[in-house]
Amino acid sequence: MSTPSVAPAPGGGVDVSGPGEPSTPRRHDVFRRQQARLGWGLSAPALILIAAVTLFPIGYAIAMSVSNVSATGSGFSLSGLTGSNYSIMFHAPQWRYALFFTIFYTVVTVAVEVALGTAVALVLERLTVGRGWMMALLLIPWSLITVVNATLWAYIYNPTYGVLDTIFSHIGLGSPVILGTRVPAIIALMVADIWKTTPFVAIIVLAGLVMIPRDYYEAAEVDGASGWTAFWRITFPLLRPTIALAVLFRVLQAFGLFDLPFVLTQGGPGYSTQPLAILAYNAMFRDLDFGPGAAVATSTALLVVIGCLVFLKVFRAQAGTEV
Amino acid sequence: MKVVASMRGRSRLMLIAAMGVAALTASACSSNTSSPAASGTATHAPSGSATSGNITWWASPITTTSPDPRTVLISAFEKAYPNIHVNLQSAPTDTDTNRASLITTISGGATSPDVFMGDVIWPAQFGHSGLAQPLSSYFPSSYWNSFAPGLVQGATYKGQVYGAPFFEDQGFLYYRKDLLAKEHMAVPTTWPQLETEAAALVHKGVVKYGYVWQGASYEGLTCNFMEYLGSAGGTALNSGLTQATLNSPAGLEAANFMHSLITSGATPGAVTTFQEAQSMSAFATGQAAFLRNWDYGWSYSQTASSPSSVVGKVGVTPLPSFPGQASPGTSNIGGWNLYINPHSKNIAADVTFIKWMTSPAAQTILGTQFSEIPTVQSVRQSAAVKAKNPVLAIVGDTRLIPRPAQTPAYAKVSQAIYTNINSMLAGSASPSSALSAASSQINSAVGSSSGL
Repeated sequence: MSTPSVAPAPGGGVDVSGPGEPSTPRRHDVFRRQQARLGWGLSAPALILIAAVTLFPIGYAIAMSVSNVSATGSGFSLSGLTGSNYSIMFHAPQWRYALFFTIFYTVVTVAVEVALGTAVALVLERLTVGRGWMMALLLIPWSLITVVNATLWAYIYNPTYGVLDTIFSHIGLGSPVILGTRVPAIIALMVADIWKTTPFVAIIVLAGLVMIPRDYYEAAEVDGASGWTAFWRITFPLLRPTIALAVLFRVLQAFGLFDLPFVLTQGGPGYSTQPLAILAYNAMFRDLDFGPGAAVATSTALLVVIGCLVFLKVFRAQAGTEV
Repeated sequence: MKVVASMRGRSRLMLIAAMGVAALTASACSSNTSSPAASGTATHAPSGSATSGNITWWASPITTTSPDPRTVLISAFEKAYPNIHVNLQSAPTDTDTNRASLITTISGGATSPDVFMGDVIWPAQFGHSGLAQPLSSYFPSSYWNSFAPGLVQGATYKGQVYGAPFFEDQGFLYYRKDLLAKEHMAVPTTWPQLETEAAALVHKGVVKYGYVWQGASYEGLTCNFMEYLGSAGGTALNSGLTQATLNSPAGLEAANFMHSLITSGATPGAVTTFQEAQSMSAFATGQAAFLRNWDYGWSYSQTASSPSSVVGKVGVTPLPSFPGQASPGTSNIGGWNLYINPHSKNIAADVTFIKWMTSPAAQTILGTQFSEIPTVQSVRQSAAVKAKNPVLAIVGDTRLIPRPAQTPAYAKVSQAIYTNINSMLAGSASPSSALSAASSQINSAVGSSSGL
């Protein structure tokens, strides 16, 4: 949350003292503090609303994860302080698999999306004619709702009349059951994700590319550097903060993976494409196991926050203070 | 200085106002958890005698055809009870999404919807958590005895009936009359016969797929598995609902057979991704010779407006059985009940509505106009309903089997079945290892109060 915009910026305060009274730094301070208080007061309703719709549910989920929860006709009843929800979670093989699957999925898709997105951005930057059109085209997958995307991919992967099935049988590869077999199903989900999200990374990276001053490249050219050297010595280091931003956004989203497998595989075959979010959803809203479900949700949020902080720290250490 | 002083006063006022809002918000949030419950102990209302009021009925679409059966039924009801107004709230078509919405709504203390249409497998879970009003005391026993055998028992949890059977559904075997006649094949009465015929039709190139059914990782696969298991004489849970019993010779016969359907070529490998829609479209477009599906398979395959090339070429029969077992095979019970929200403000009118919806008048509309299987025994057996189509004509010949849904942990029991059987169909596990994994997951589901 940012500081309230009503509070005056340093030095920007309005001097209300009369013409005869010399204004002192001390009076300024007092006034500024009062102004800030007014600012907080004015923005308090908005802040409270935000707290009610975000902080309260988050806090409630954490409370649920450490209590014995039961759904009753008159609402949830929370009792006691217990670690049993987390203990149930740690001992469940489905949770361990979902954790592995979610991390693996996140690492692979984000890595591929960043590599592809950067490549696309480099091409886009050099495009002189039709860049606007290309960008608009590229943004179609990103702008479509994931559920719609997933339904389109379901037609492609359909094992009886799907596009891929037709192609495979025409080139004599038979009829592979893509979404019904473990490894192909995982790859199929990743492909759909990469198709949708690469343009997002490309747009962010393109914004970073445009910011790099042209003279650096001119200087490099004068020094006789090849295009490849220029990329690794100039473009890439200067893009690092932008790429870090793209990675952060993507990791946060990929870790919450839900809609693609929800539409395409329902977590199957078996449990092989069940991410943490679907596990938590099923525990809570299908089995009414609100405690263990909240434990999965809370620990997932904690993991992703820790992951992002570590990533930022490492990146900052490497890239200096630019991030 | 004056300006400053008034500023300070104003900001203090703001803070007080803000704190007031915060207190209000907090109390609004906590009121959900502290409001007194109307559930559990039944508030005894006159059974079905209310003649006025407004109620909201939560129901997912029953058919995709026009007119909508829900609005047809509501207007007929409002004609009979002009002072009760029913407001239809359309529920999500996906059953799990439907349930999730209801659970969050009712456990949040909402008084609306008053009456909801829910799956036949929900009574234990909803009854256990106080999310549905117990109905036994609102209706006389003669009312409950009017339903077809087994349906009220399926809606009962710990001695209380939670749902009034609204319309029923079950598995049937649909087959292509023209293809069987052409190849001089008989309508199969045993599973091995079905497998042989289906595989032969595929190998001869008569049809692309032999036998299609629902093998995806979802509730429908549990229904399919229960039919093979029941036909082989097995059960999934013991009568005390405390122990899995599917890892048995009968369970193995069922699982082995499902596995061999794919390996023999009778069923395509793609069945591991098939829900009702996929299997139905394969059959209705003439790509498959046999189909296991619910009651709507008949009207869907015989409707000229659907992309169908099998109009007039389809027959329907009860599901086959295994040799040496009772015949026909078992058909899994599906369908929908009517439940009452325990927070409803107008339970008397809710009861009137439910009573009418399960009356011969409403049940006849469902059967004769919309081809749904009536739950009331007399309507089921009436000539008008039986004459409607061949599916309704053979309802009385089928042998029904319920899913093991009398435990509140049923959702997990079912998941243990469908995920493991789906893995087996996909070739990731052998039939025996799938059954032992399902068995141990079921035991931990019914043995503990909560888990993952």
